[in-house]
Amino acid sequence: MRISLFLLILLPFTGAAQNFTISGRLTDATTGEALIGANVFVTSLQTGTTTNTYGFYSLTLPKMDSMGIAFSYVGYSPQFKKVFPDQSFQLDVELAPGVGLLDEVVVSGQRADENVARPQMGVVDIPTEKIRELPAILGEVDVLKIVQLLPGVQAGNEGTTGFFVRGGNADQNLVQLDEAVVYNPNHLFGLFSTFNTRAINNVTLIKGGFPAQYGGRLSSILDITMKEGNNKRVGAEGGIGLVTSQLTVEGPLKKERASFILSGRRTYFDWMIKPFLSSRIRTNYAFYDLNAKVNWQLGPKDRIFLSAFTGKDDALYIEDGIEYNVLFGNSTATLRWNHIFGQKLFLNTSFILNEYDQNISALQDNAFSEVLSGIKDVNGKIEFQYYPNPGHVLLFGAHYLDHTFRSSGRTEAQSGSDPSPGIDADAIPVKYFDEFAIYINDEIQVSERLSASLGVRAPGFFSDEASYYRIEPRASVKMALGPASSVKAAYTVMNQFLHLVPSSTASVPTEIWVPSTEQTKPQVSTQYSLGYFRNFRDNQYESSLEVYYKDMQNQVLFKEGNQLVETLDVDPLLAYGKGWSYGAEFFLRKNRGRLTGWLSYTLSWTNQKFEELNFGQAFPFRYDRRHNLSVVGTYQLSKRWSLSGTFVFSSGNVYTVPVGRIGVFYGGSLFEGNYFVYEERNNVRMNPYHRLDLSAAHKREWRLFGKDLTSEWVFSVYNTYSRLNPYFVYFEVEPRTGEPKAKQVSLLPIIPSITYNFKF
Amino acid sequence: MKKINYIIPLLLFLLTMLSCRKDVKIKPDSSYESQLFIESILFPGEVPKVYLSRSQPFFNEEVTPQEMFARGAEVFLSNGAQEEKLQPDSTFDKFRCRWVPYYAGTVPAEYGKTYQLTVTYQGETYTATTTIDQARVNLDEVEYTPEFFDVYGGHDGVILRFRDAPGEKNFYRFQMDRFLDTSRHHAHILEVLVNDCTNGEKFWITDLGRTIFRDENNDGQPMELYAEVSFEYRRGDTAYIYLQSLDETAAAFYEDIDNQLQSILNPFVEPVFLKSAIEGTIGVFGSAVRSDTVVFVYPQDNP
Repeated sequence: MRISLFLLILLPFTGAAQNFTISGRLTDATTGEALIGANVFVTSLQTGTTTNTYGFYSLTLPKMDSMGIAFSYVGYSPQFKKVFPDQSFQLDVELAPGVGLLDEVVVSGQRADENVARPQMGVVDIPTEKIRELPAILGEVDVLKIVQLLPGVQAGNEGTTGFFVRGGNADQNLVQLDEAVVYNPNHLFGLFSTFNTRAINNVTLIKGGFPAQYGGRLSSILDITMKEGNNKRVGAEGGIGLVTSQLTVEGPLKKERASFILSGRRTYFDWMIKPFLSSRIRTNYAFYDLNAKVNWQLGPKDRIFLSAFTGKDDALYIEDGIEYNVLFGNSTATLRWNHIFGQKLFLNTSFILNEYDQNISALQDNAFSEVLSGIKDVNGKIEFQYYPNPGHVLLFGAHYLDHTFRSSGRTEAQSGSDPSPGIDADAIPVKYFDEFAIYINDEIQVSERLSASLGVRAPGFFSDEASYYRIEPRASVKMALGPASSVKAAYTVMNQFLHLVPSSTASVPTEIWVPSTEQTKPQVSTQYSLGYFRNFRDNQYESSLEVYYKDMQNQVLFKEGNQLVETLDVDPLLAYGKGWSYGAEFFLRKNRGRLTGWLSYTLSWTNQKFEELNFGQAFPFRYDRRHNLSVVGTYQLSKRWSLSGTFVFSSGNVYTVPVGRIGVFYGGSLFEGNYFVYEERNNVRMNPYHRLDLSAAHKREWRLFGKDLTSEWVFSVYNTYSRLNPYFVYFEVEPRTGEPKAKQVSLLPIIPSITYNFKF
Repeated sequence: MKKINYIIPLLLFLLTMLSCRKDVKIKPDSSYESQLFIESILFPGEVPKVYLSRSQPFFNEEVTPQEMFARGAEVFLSNGAQEEKLQPDSTFDKFRCRWVPYYAGTVPAEYGKTYQLTVTYQGETYTATTTIDQARVNLDEVEYTPEFFDVYGGHDGVILRFRDAPGEKNFYRFQMDRFLDTSRHHAHILEVLVNDCTNGEKFWITDLGRTIFRDENNDGQPMELYAEVSFEYRRGDTAYIYLQSLDETAAAFYEDIDNQLQSILNPFVEPVFLKSAIEGTIGVFGSAVRSDTVVFVYPQDNP
């Protein structure tokens, strides 16, 4: 294995004479935005590459008199360039959005679609234009809700943005915005994500076959790239919905050299619910988020980006002597510098800050409690991408991450008229620890049919309490079976030094992130996956069938009877065990035509085993759902009208129900009452979840004061047939008979909404 | 550290605005077979009592102690030198106006001896042993407190002060005996109590603490035990307070029970599975030693 890897790395450095290099950026012709993952294909040589996160590509080719190069990207009109190379040169290409791509021009010789051709598996790219075509909930189209519709991804609870990938817990997903980690990507207890779709350029989900540049989480990477801002003209777009409104402004700071984007969103949920609340309840809820980004092209080889994000939620609930305050939010800032050495070596250097804070306080029964916790990270990353020849990308780099955790809580008696002072955040003792990783990944076309992505990542963790050093081999291999089909296999090892202790079945911001300690060892997973990929009708349809097996060690759960506590020292409260998941995922997507969309079906099993839980026997993971089906479709009815719909079905969640009951009566040695007999954890499954969402959009383009103006009305219905899906089940004892009754709580019935969007 | 359950109140906020609730049928596990539940703690100088009952399927209606009583069991208690067969007996619970059956012996248990319990019921035999060798720890002081906080919230109650017996692992529990009449309600079941079969007479009641206090990291040191009381009181009411020293097996079972009570009916807390202290069935057989009695007079009405 090591020898093979070494040989593969050496391959590109041999026989490089009589070659030339063509490199450049692919951008949107109307905005200057980078096109991420766009295809660059040399028709005469039947070879090519794709653009990176910054729209950069590089191709080193044997010298020829002339050659044709096709540049293409989903949703854009492709371009075909004929070049007469006698030396290396730079070729920047702008692609125009393919308005009315009902009969898209097909460039002859265009390579098979990316899903078949690339060696990685378990990767799904979602351009934001696609996201915005889908049905909205409460007027908001949400990135994380779209992610939940992909194969291998399970949604959390009803209406929430939590997601679970291939049997992993929510903390095993690395959610990053412009490389900055977002620890809690939720607003409104998970009904919305913190990501404003209008500020996003691209979303990539990786759930298996991870390249070596990604690490730190076991189950998935959700890589979200913010827009750079229109560098050609000033524009604005916005939306007015039922619970939120938003506005995005972008434009050049210096035409075609520098641009900015500023996007904000704020809810008025608090104003809307007031008329519906009883007079004894006082509540307030507000959230907002703000995205900003500036990029500046310093020269043909240098570019800098500065992006920032902040989002906050503030909730208050007062009723009959109880008072709850919840305040939480994320902030990130990313400074990046791109530099191109020659035409084959691309460098990105990033300096990233991110912060997550939550403060929950409660006054009940004259007891005042407050829990305050926060995470602050300082990151440095450096990454090189080397393009020695077509079909070969060598990527290597290093990442250093400094974490500061703080957590405190207290409880004291308090009368309502004498409010307790809050915790002094500056006085809280902090925990420091660091992570680092070095990595190298080689993506190489070994032969016409065989290509591979081989890498190794070496992460480390050190704190005052414990140190861990690990090696993570990564390998993905693709064997082409024909121009439109391939078989892929992947093997990955991942480590995770942070744990989010799941404290409840609800997506409320009370879960605690804790670092690894001597007792709480890093989570580690080994995943094997195998897939068959096939496209039809010249890539109009793409399909895949993937099977996987994932083993997860050092998993944590609270010991029996435990729940959220106001202390960071949670080790004594934790039980340790392992988990494993296996399943099959089918994906069929239609990319072109009046009707586009996808169907995804996942059949999976996920189990866990903890010595201290369930009498030491294996039990199903709480999001073990046998069947998951999503059908997503958009139909372009006319130039102005489009219809879309989403249908989801999944098996119900599992939960624990006692099988027996013991009555204890006064007179014995026990406190009298009813005690429960449990035989197995997670022994009952809730009712299945299914839902149909529909929407219709009417778009109109017109000119006003010499400016192009687009307006759009979106009418959507969430949960069209008002299915009462289970959120959780609890028991109430019928007072007369003493018989326990199960009660199901459902959150969201049918919710119609209307949104007005504009862009100029 | 005090535990706080933030989840339910937080969800109240969400549910108030968005939720709807409905009854759902959960298919009862038809294969569930009733199990024998054994409960017995021996106190030196007192005759043994063994409570035997049958567990019920979870979704059944509540049944009376008589209906749950495991009739026809053969119960033997032996200390090596002497074996006694326990006989069915019962006590009238005046607070609830009902009979509570159990199996009783006639020979008081003795300190320093090891006892084996053997129960044969429906063809199965269950055995367990306990040794009554816990240190007897006397109370130094008992004090009333109008407000303290524990995992269940804020309460009024009493504080027991004592010095831990050094050199061994100890497990303590609160006990209060007092006379009541029906004007003093139970703190948690006020609306349920509708019977009055006392004709205004006072009756004797024992109030047991749910929480077990361990002497971990406190060996031989002064200790404080805060206890919530279950029944209402008036200024001048008299009570008799004890400190129980339990054996480790019984203490572990009581801790499970206490944890389970916190998790019961709470969908956001990991459920607690009872680990039986008796092989083959559910239950506990242990022993405890009581301190001397301290007479305590309530200085005020309950808040």
